[in-house]
Amino acid sequence: MPAASIDVRGVSKIYNPGSQQPVKALDTVSLSIADNEFFTLLGPSGCGKTTLLRLIAGFEQVSGGEILLFGEEIAHLQPSQRSVNTVFQHYALFPHMSVAENVGFGLERLKKPKDEVVSTVKRMLSLVKMDHLADRRPSQLSGGQQQRVALARALAPSPKVLLLDEPLSALDLKLRQTMREELKQLQRETGITFVFVTHDQDEALAMSDRIAVMSEGHIQQIGSPTEIYEHPVNQFVADFIGDSNFLDGEIIAIEDDIVTCKIGSESVFEAENSGNHAVGDQVTLFLRPEKISLTHSTDESTDNHRRGKVSNIVYLGNEAAYTVDMGDGISLMAQARPKEDGNLPFAIDDDIAVGYSNRALRVLAK
Amino acid sequence: MTERDLKSSNMAKAKALPVGHYRGLGVWNFFFMVFLYAPIAVLIFYSFNANRMVINWTGFGVEWYIKAFNNEDIQDAVWNSLIVAFVATGVATTIATIGALILARGGNFKGKTASLGLMMLPLMVPEIVTAVAVLIFFATIGLNWGLGNVIIAHITFCIPFAFMPIRARLEGMDTTMEQAARDLYASEWETFRYITVPMLMPGIVAGAMLSFVISLDDFIITLMVGGAGSTTLPVYIYSMIRRGLTPEINAVSTLLLLFSVAIVTAYWFVSKKSNTKTVH
Repeated sequence: MPAASIDVRGVSKIYNPGSQQPVKALDTVSLSIADNEFFTLLGPSGCGKTTLLRLIAGFEQVSGGEILLFGEEIAHLQPSQRSVNTVFQHYALFPHMSVAENVGFGLERLKKPKDEVVSTVKRMLSLVKMDHLADRRPSQLSGGQQQRVALARALAPSPKVLLLDEPLSALDLKLRQTMREELKQLQRETGITFVFVTHDQDEALAMSDRIAVMSEGHIQQIGSPTEIYEHPVNQFVADFIGDSNFLDGEIIAIEDDIVTCKIGSESVFEAENSGNHAVGDQVTLFLRPEKISLTHSTDESTDNHRRGKVSNIVYLGNEAAYTVDMGDGISLMAQARPKEDGNLPFAIDDDIAVGYSNRALRVLAK
Repeated sequence: MTERDLKSSNMAKAKALPVGHYRGLGVWNFFFMVFLYAPIAVLIFYSFNANRMVINWTGFGVEWYIKAFNNEDIQDAVWNSLIVAFVATGVATTIATIGALILARGGNFKGKTASLGLMMLPLMVPEIVTAVAVLIFFATIGLNWGLGNVIIAHITFCIPFAFMPIRARLEGMDTTMEQAARDLYASEWETFRYITVPMLMPGIVAGAMLSFVISLDDFIITLMVGGAGSTTLPVYIYSMIRRGLTPEINAVSTLLLLFSVAIVTAYWFVSKKSNTKTVH
């Protein structure tokens, strides 16, 4: 295994220790980030992802555990002694300095020779396509331009790791999507490890090599975007990433790879066996809406066929989200594309066929 | 007024009901303005009187301004006023800046609220009380530095005036900029030197201007504390009145007024600029 760029070992962070209400922001978190990796910390607000980033940057002190940067313990160093740089959520560009002075700030502090500062600033600004605005003040730039300057400023001293704290959250949707691609490309070009914090699952899936899903100070799952999306380890991860159908029930039979569950009072569903389950276990079944095929008559290509009645439709343009009442108190969310003429294939109260493959329905541990 | 006061008064304006439709408001407003500014207008008007009696208008002339400029006693008094104002402003602004930094960035320490209160208290203490207290204090410790005594007294009452705009500016500055600087390998001193001070500058300049005007115009404390040879302009004007009213007093007062207005206007522009700067 190649050397880890960041090694977080059993790190805890408690705010207001010893007070009436100590807040445990991180609880013995461990993770290892490989060199050249685009690593994302994903989770809802308050899950501890920003705290972890600030601990790596050095703006907060760990309450326990250690943080290694290429094998060197850095948890007790000053921010200025760590070879990591941060892109802040609201950029934090110095308002009294020009774009070029902002980008050169880190290099000047490192006492780089003057000509090297000038040439590096020039190279960084052209890397983020901002060389034509080098003399502007940050207040004269748009949000997207400020974002680029913040990136150039953090990359200029060639840090070993770049930390990004929700840098796209202040941009509008179109720009956010463009910047996603640019960030990913920038990471490939520079070969620097990126640690990216976000609460936006789309961003995480689009850019990351690996994602750590966090909640309430714990890491729930670490894996590649497809692992996280297709094989969530628990209901929190499945629910946080993408849309999901959850069916609560009890295992009544296990045969090879197939687990048979009783859902509701009398419905029986078969699902792929994902691990150590026993007959009688209370489990949650999980099914992505896009894995369900909706047809007028039974689709023979799928393993499972059921019938249901359309109870709600949400039109989204490129597709429509259907809620299908399966009877017995069970309803499933599914998707269907509009027809060639733009009309929706089904209407409310239509009786339709619902099909899915055995592998699509999975068992999540309670 | 501090930046924050300006901001909140703007907000109050936006929310307040329009009162323009109340009948008689214009007339009321007119009398209010007359009440405020008529005495000053009269003072300025008679400073151009050619007669040697103040209230006996006989024709336009600038001879009293010429006379005032050539009066050596007035020149000395102006000189004293400027020395006191510059030194007091410099020292008071420095102390106020350090105080504001400690209160805003020093974390939570015991007695923080009390410190803030004590910093602002001199604004509430009647000036005559401060004047008597300082006078007795100097007498007790036997300090007799002439103009130095006046400067020390001015520093004490200038501090809260310098403190207010600096603190308001600091409150509006979060620590992210300093964190960004530390992240970019700046030491604590470099962060203070290159980030904190330049960003705080509009507040410091505003505080300095405010305390300069307050010091320049002060009368009661200066009269009590200042001995012979440390007469400032306001005290000198007062002594002129006791010797008899001539338009020369009007001329000197008008010049002092113009100078003060110029500084307050500059202060207003500085704080307005710093307001727009923080919004981006």
